[in-house]
Amino acid sequence: MALIEVIDQNDPGKPNRPATYQESNRDIIRVLLNPTLLHSAAVLIAVVAMAIGGWAWYQQITWGMGVAGITHPTMWGVYIVTFVFWIGIGHAGTLISAILFLVRSRWRTGVYRASEAMTVFAVMTALLFPVLHLGRCWQAYWFFPYPNQRQLWMNFKSPLMWDVFAISTYFTVSAVFFYVGLLPDIAVFRDHSRGLVKRVYGLLCLGWRGTHKQWHAYMGAYGFFAAFAAPLVLSVHSVVSWDFAMAPTAGWHSTIFPPYFVAGAIFSGCAMVISLLLPMTLLFKWDKYVNTWHFENLAKMCLLTSGILTYAYATEYFVGWYSQNPYEQSIFFWRADPGADYGWAFWLMVFCNCIAPLAWYNKWMRTHPAPLFIIAAIVNVGMWMERFNIVVSSIAHNFDPATWWTYYPSLVEWGILVGSAGWFSFWFLLFAKTFPAVAITEIKEMVAPPVKGSLEA
Amino acid sequence: MDRTTVRIKAVYSQLDCLLTGVDRLKKADISGFTVQAPLPRHEIEDIMYEGRPSNVRWWTLTGAMLGVTIGFLLPALTHATWPMINPGGKPVVAVVPFTVIMFECTILFGALFTFAGLLFHSGLPGFWLDRSLKDPRMTDASFGITFTAARPKDSERITELLQQTGALEVTTGDETIYEVPNV
Repeated sequence: MALIEVIDQNDPGKPNRPATYQESNRDIIRVLLNPTLLHSAAVLIAVVAMAIGGWAWYQQITWGMGVAGITHPTMWGVYIVTFVFWIGIGHAGTLISAILFLVRSRWRTGVYRASEAMTVFAVMTALLFPVLHLGRCWQAYWFFPYPNQRQLWMNFKSPLMWDVFAISTYFTVSAVFFYVGLLPDIAVFRDHSRGLVKRVYGLLCLGWRGTHKQWHAYMGAYGFFAAFAAPLVLSVHSVVSWDFAMAPTAGWHSTIFPPYFVAGAIFSGCAMVISLLLPMTLLFKWDKYVNTWHFENLAKMCLLTSGILTYAYATEYFVGWYSQNPYEQSIFFWRADPGADYGWAFWLMVFCNCIAPLAWYNKWMRTHPAPLFIIAAIVNVGMWMERFNIVVSSIAHNFDPATWWTYYPSLVEWGILVGSAGWFSFWFLLFAKTFPAVAITEIKEMVAPPVKGSLEA
Repeated sequence: MDRTTVRIKAVYSQLDCLLTGVDRLKKADISGFTVQAPLPRHEIEDIMYEGRPSNVRWWTLTGAMLGVTIGFLLPALTHATWPMINPGGKPVVAVVPFTVIMFECTILFGALFTFAGLLFHSGLPGFWLDRSLKDPRMTDASFGITFTAARPKDSERITELLQQTGALEVTTGDETIYEVPNV
């Protein structure tokens, strides 16, 4: 398989670099020209998944929130779990595009565009969930704090309000950063297309022509976008964690939550990048640009963040034991009890997030497509289970034993979960087929510039 | 284009030849040209801007300062206007919880102003650029130096100068407008 080959460890990107600017253009543009059966099949599966989600939502709109499994005291179930999951998925994209840009990490070049796209589409997916969870979705305008004729008494001291600001800022900044990076690459697509398609690309790239004024402003702005996006990665999931940590609920009320959530988000995001890019690389033959070097680095990122998560899980238990707080001890020991309601979910999480990724300590396992893909899929399941453990078990087993309740998602909730995966995949597949999912301009920067050798300037 | 001016364009396949061309124009005290490239090269920035950073940074600073101000005033004035909510005994205008809103607004407005600055300083949207600059080779693999409105009396000198710098082609007038057959 072309994806896996012997690479020079002293200069890992070298063997797969294009030789010329034209070659990099041609390779990426080829994606537009070759509609494949596999891609069409993947789009079809995504549409079917969306249809399942649509059916589930229709049931909920018709019959009311009762068809969802959430009920007192477990009023936060699959919808909040999946919301946090998708927000987390987005984090690796911004990490790769912004933080790795600021530290001049060379391996980001091949994978950052697809990761950024993943961020934007993951946050788009997450943003569906407040509306889905609302039940009466036709009253979604009540989410907006102003104007105040509805006497909302919005509370800026609430972490839920912080979350609104954090996620809307995250989505806006990620989308702008993503679009700015795309401008010169869409111009390449415009100059290699014709007719209506050319006009559409022409409009989308805002008439980019690569003049020195454009590049000067672009490079100036790009650094600032990266500098803004980098702290945003760390802040957004910290704020999401405060949705839980600021509440006095046992199992939630912990100062370890922000770093623990951020590490988890990057862990799940990097695993999702592997899950998306491996098939894409094979499908679109991007192996010249995205290869073993990139996947191995992503696997190493997962290993690091998996270690941080394992440490965080252990710390939660240590703090629970050391605090001598009976409520704190109760919830943590109950969660881990294999015979208790959610013991299976806890141990599945531990297996997926702490044990399975250890296989990547073996070089063979992180340089071959099958183990890479399987372990990344296990991590994705594990990270969803982690949110399920945190969100559900704490409120199902709260302070008052009289209210204890075992929550299991209903068919409608599973349908919405499947639909959200379909919605995310649909946009990603569409993007990969119509826009440069590998950054042409940055690939060109890796190519030695053509010179005659007569430099006077 | 003003009929009293003339277009001149040199197309290069090599970066060092382009830099030589720009350098010679500058040494001859000729200005008013646009350099085009398919990728950002610091050599071009260095020779065109001599280390001056982009003015986009002032937009960023303005946006960030406006953002932090709005991030404080929005919650503070809201709570001062409707002071009934006082969770956890916090003061009506509570700086610590508002810090999160201030931080997010700093990032949001800073980024949006940076985008506005990018559009302003790069001249985007560039739909109205001169036709000689709408050359598809410049997003592919070529570099270019283009005068969209050179004085006719300078045209011969500029053309001659550019021809000596290793340009693939030097064209004037309507010949500078390059239209390829669609791919």
